[in-house]
Amino acid sequence: MKRILPTIPFLALAGLLGNVLETRVLYATPSEERLTALEERLARLEKALERLAEKVEANSLSEANGREELTALPKEAREINLDQSNLAQEEKTQPATSDVPSAASVIATEKQNETEEGTSPQILNIPYAGYMETHLNHDGVNPTTFDFHRFVLLFGHGFGDRIRFWSELELEHAFVEGREVSGEIALEQAYLDFLIHPKLNFRAGMILSPMGIINERHEPPSFNGVERTFVDTFIIPTTWFGSGGGFVGDLGKGFAYKAYLMTSLDASRFSAEEGFRGGLQNGFLENASHMAPVGRLEYRGRPGLNLGTSFWTGRTAFNLRGIEGQARMLDFDGRYRKSLFEWRGQFASTHLSNAAEINRAVQRQTGVNPNIAKSMRGFYMETAAHLFPKEFKHDLVAFYRYENFDTQYRMPDGFLPLKQFDRSAHVVGITYYPYPDVALKFDYNFMRNASEVVQTPNRWNFGIGWWF
Amino acid sequence: MHYRPEGKGWLVIAFALFSLPATLADNREEPVGTNPKGSERDRTVQKVNVVAERFNFTPSQIRVKEGTLLEINLTSEDTFHGFRMPSVHINRTIPARGRGSVKVVFDAKEKGSYSFECSRPCGAGHTMMRGVIVVE
Repeated sequence: MKRILPTIPFLALAGLLGNVLETRVLYATPSEERLTALEERLARLEKALERLAEKVEANSLSEANGREELTALPKEAREINLDQSNLAQEEKTQPATSDVPSAASVIATEKQNETEEGTSPQILNIPYAGYMETHLNHDGVNPTTFDFHRFVLLFGHGFGDRIRFWSELELEHAFVEGREVSGEIALEQAYLDFLIHPKLNFRAGMILSPMGIINERHEPPSFNGVERTFVDTFIIPTTWFGSGGGFVGDLGKGFAYKAYLMTSLDASRFSAEEGFRGGLQNGFLENASHMAPVGRLEYRGRPGLNLGTSFWTGRTAFNLRGIEGQARMLDFDGRYRKSLFEWRGQFASTHLSNAAEINRAVQRQTGVNPNIAKSMRGFYMETAAHLFPKEFKHDLVAFYRYENFDTQYRMPDGFLPLKQFDRSAHVVGITYYPYPDVALKFDYNFMRNASEVVQTPNRWNFGIGWWF
Repeated sequence: MHYRPEGKGWLVIAFALFSLPATLADNREEPVGTNPKGSERDRTVQKVNVVAERFNFTPSQIRVKEGTLLEINLTSEDTFHGFRMPSVHINRTIPARGRGSVKVVFDAKEKGSYSFECSRPCGAGHTMMRGVIVVE
């Protein structure tokens, strides 16, 4: 019993030190000196602990001497603990939206297993986020309209470190009423990510099609212009979402990919003016008899540069008996940022097989020939400049974009193209950011089309968008 | 006067817009220095600038030698992001564009892969904004 007694305070000390050492992250100090001092004190404690262990083993520790040494050590350990608490407090009190350049440093000293137990619930349970945009649109022909275009809330949750839930619920045009022409509520995303390996992760649920730039990056402060690009409206039907699943990963050296199987588009609702847009099934009792593969490969290995290509193909005539309607879509896009300048561009084209038969079948069903094209094509190029230096807290961006989009690019035999849908636009505008997540936008659209009869009116738009 | 796409010289515009970035492309910075701190004067310090933007970190893979002190300078090109390393309990906010940077020093004591991710919801693709530090 006498031999055990000296080990009790030793064990207490070890526990206390263990508590200190278990905090594997030394939180930030405003100065390097404080961190260095802490490390040196910790090293002194470790040495003292070793000395004590040697003495206990050699049974040379008298109870009195041992008590004296052991009471001195926890005091220092408590001081270190206190210092760390203060530092952690500094960390907490530092505003999340820190304006302090080159804020404090963090040193991680040891690796821990990625387990649920090792992670605090505050980190695992992802809070909500959202974005909204409201627009004032004027085109000189139709009445000027004020439209609260999008009210979107995003929610997430972490089931441990390996399974994540993410969702996006959208209310468009502010008002929804049954059997009336009004807005819509859409569940654009609701999926689980199973994080297996950086190169191979599985995703399933309601997902966004990884096609082009805007479909997956549509937060208002993240693109120029009040409305989304015409190419991402008429050629790529954003927001394009549906049920499905697949794999997502980072291949290294700047390459990343997405490969999904998703529900397809419905050719019976394609149109001459809006192309595939009407064919979105939007998650409502979707026809899943023919799942459509879609994939995207991105290169982002150089700072500021992002190049991507996407491909989709699917059977679309499932609501038209006896017709095969294989559709394809191909996209190339790129973004580059250098200093105060940004460039982005995108090219997208589609092809629909048996377009003539689909047109005839839809006409038999509805009495109206939709005049769907065999292929559509669109592209845009945009250049933008930040007019304020990067260090400014406010930002002002001027941009110019040229768009060319034709939803009647190639017609099936026996069908003539409607020239008013061979369109282009010169868009100039400005975006003011009083805060990085708040954008006040204005743009003017010079619209053109290839028709000699039907004109597309010019328009201006004003919008406010924000993200939180 | 009606629009004819073939007559507008859009190929020239495309060339001008995309050739300029190509000439400016290589600005990667991964300087290596020595640690100025007295207690670790002899340790190698590897400095890396990581840029966060919706929805990726660039670079997303960082390789270091075992025993290196990795100094990561994090900046954002758009909104506020987070930098979280679950395995070592780091979670920091990356200030938005124009609002400074945050520095994280990772002590690569042990070989292995250490994943990091954005911990502040930043948009539709937030959940896959991830990267990895490989200690060799």
